[in-house]
Amino acid sequence: MVEPRPLPFGARTLTVLALMVLGAVAAWQLRLTPSGLVPQEGGWKLTREFLGAALPRPLDYEGSSSPHWDPFLLKVGKSLLRTLAFAIAAMSLALLVGLPLGFLASDSWWRPEAFGGGRLAPIARPLQVLIRTWIALMRSVHELLWAVLFLAAMGLNTMAAVVAIAIPYGGTLAKVFSEMLDEAPRTTTEAFRGIGASPFAAYLFGLFPRALPDLSAYAFYRFECAVRSSAVLGFFGYTTIGYHLELSFSDANFREVWTYLYALLCCVLLLEAWSTALRRRLVG
Amino acid sequence: MSTVAATWDEIRSLHQARPRSLLLRGTMLFFGLAVVAVWLSGEIEVGDLFTERRRRNLMRFLTIEAVPFPMREEGAATLPVFWIWVSGIWADRGAAATLSTLWLALAAIVLAAGFGTLISPLAARTLATPQPYLLEDRKRRGPWMLVSGGSRLVCASMRAMPEYVLAFFLVNLLPFTAWPAVLALALHNGGILGRLYGDTIENLDPQPLRAWSMLGGQRAALASLAAIPSAVPRYLLYFFYRFETCVREATVLGMLGVASLGSEVVEVQASHFYDELILLIAFGVGIVLLGDLASHLARGWIRRAG
Repeated sequence: MVEPRPLPFGARTLTVLALMVLGAVAAWQLRLTPSGLVPQEGGWKLTREFLGAALPRPLDYEGSSSPHWDPFLLKVGKSLLRTLAFAIAAMSLALLVGLPLGFLASDSWWRPEAFGGGRLAPIARPLQVLIRTWIALMRSVHELLWAVLFLAAMGLNTMAAVVAIAIPYGGTLAKVFSEMLDEAPRTTTEAFRGIGASPFAAYLFGLFPRALPDLSAYAFYRFECAVRSSAVLGFFGYTTIGYHLELSFSDANFREVWTYLYALLCCVLLLEAWSTALRRRLVG
Repeated sequence: MSTVAATWDEIRSLHQARPRSLLLRGTMLFFGLAVVAVWLSGEIEVGDLFTERRRRNLMRFLTIEAVPFPMREEGAATLPVFWIWVSGIWADRGAAATLSTLWLALAAIVLAAGFGTLISPLAARTLATPQPYLLEDRKRRGPWMLVSGGSRLVCASMRAMPEYVLAFFLVNLLPFTAWPAVLALALHNGGILGRLYGDTIENLDPQPLRAWSMLGGQRAALASLAAIPSAVPRYLLYFFYRFETCVREATVLGMLGVASLGSEVVEVQASHFYDELILLIAFGVGIVLLGDLASHLARGWIRRAG
């Protein structure tokens, strides 16, 4: 027996329609018109030149260059390597912060038979809320805003750039890790508790390993994102690939720009393929 | 005694028979070495951060520049003064910038979801096949492999480009409107949603769809009348999940010039009004948390409604 609908549309249709209306309102508020999608006089010339340079050609400097410079491809490779280095450093910090915070934010940590019982029982819930709020605050400031803030407070320093990425990424890892830990099967940790393991041992050796494949797959995905973030930090004065991209663009050396773009694209696509293979192996 | 030894033997043989993966071990080794190499390379200037010069910069920033302007005078560091300062900036430009940031995210995510919905039947290997949902050889999809593979590659390339880089090019090529920020966000997220939506269709329960197909339903009808409608709850879950990140990204894309929080940030940064910089970032925190909350509630509601 199917309930008669109170309205001619179902909840799904209504939600989708409401979102479309909201999107239209947003477009109206931002004065988005189709004409804004068409380049103007100067823009046309630039667009033609920019797109005209897209096909791969001899991969060397455009315009004037100095024999003292690195060969162009070596320069591209170095900037890509530095981009990866920033991402790796940032992720190692983010994991260091995100993993313990993820433990402390998970419901399974604060269960009565784990750490939420005994003397801690009255403050367990407030403590968890406090930690979750802290994590939300870490995530809510974009890495580029952290970078701007650190630039203002301390000046240009690569460690500051790494920390700028590591803070929001640590928060995101903590949030997702805690959700994954709560979704992991609890059979092992309960068995360990049953044979007298301490709550900490049961958590670390019973629950954590069950969630580890998910955690690793997600951490790798975030590494992919960190590479993109680190590339963008180049627009703020750090010499990652974004830095050279912006310089070449403002010198109108569009073939150089496309070489950098292709390098970044290949790197990210390669990482994604790696990530997919790893996920298939880990999570199935 | 012998039972203990036998148990150890069993544990040892179980340990030796555990599944091993070259890929997994290679990845672990690579990242282990990479982390050590990066920190030892000197590329990350840890020591420089703790020099006297940096310390002085930081102290000046914290004790002078970061203090709200009207509160810097002796005895003016009171709550009412602070409140007047905050509400003044909010009324002057904070509110408008915050709202337009939200509109940017919303316009972009709706566009991205539209794109994702359109490309999802093409990206789904269950539909992009000679006879969808009929019993057939899965391996022989012929030219349809190009359709699903091609649309997946398009999605992958779209999401591989960081929003900021896309917006940088668009700002330079298009006339001065909000389009560059919206389009950059929409392209990146369209790539993500296109893939997720395609996977959602692939994971649908095949039986009702097979019944349709056997009754003579054509591919276009299957996609538009059966597959997509039954995937809508999942689509909405992903929509709100990406909306969260869109709000976050929208707070920075304005740095390239599109009027929003980011453009205000760049302006006060150029004039070294760091007290206002921090306040603007705090407004950003506000809408990001609001976006998170809205998305959390919406997803909960969708999960319950099914």
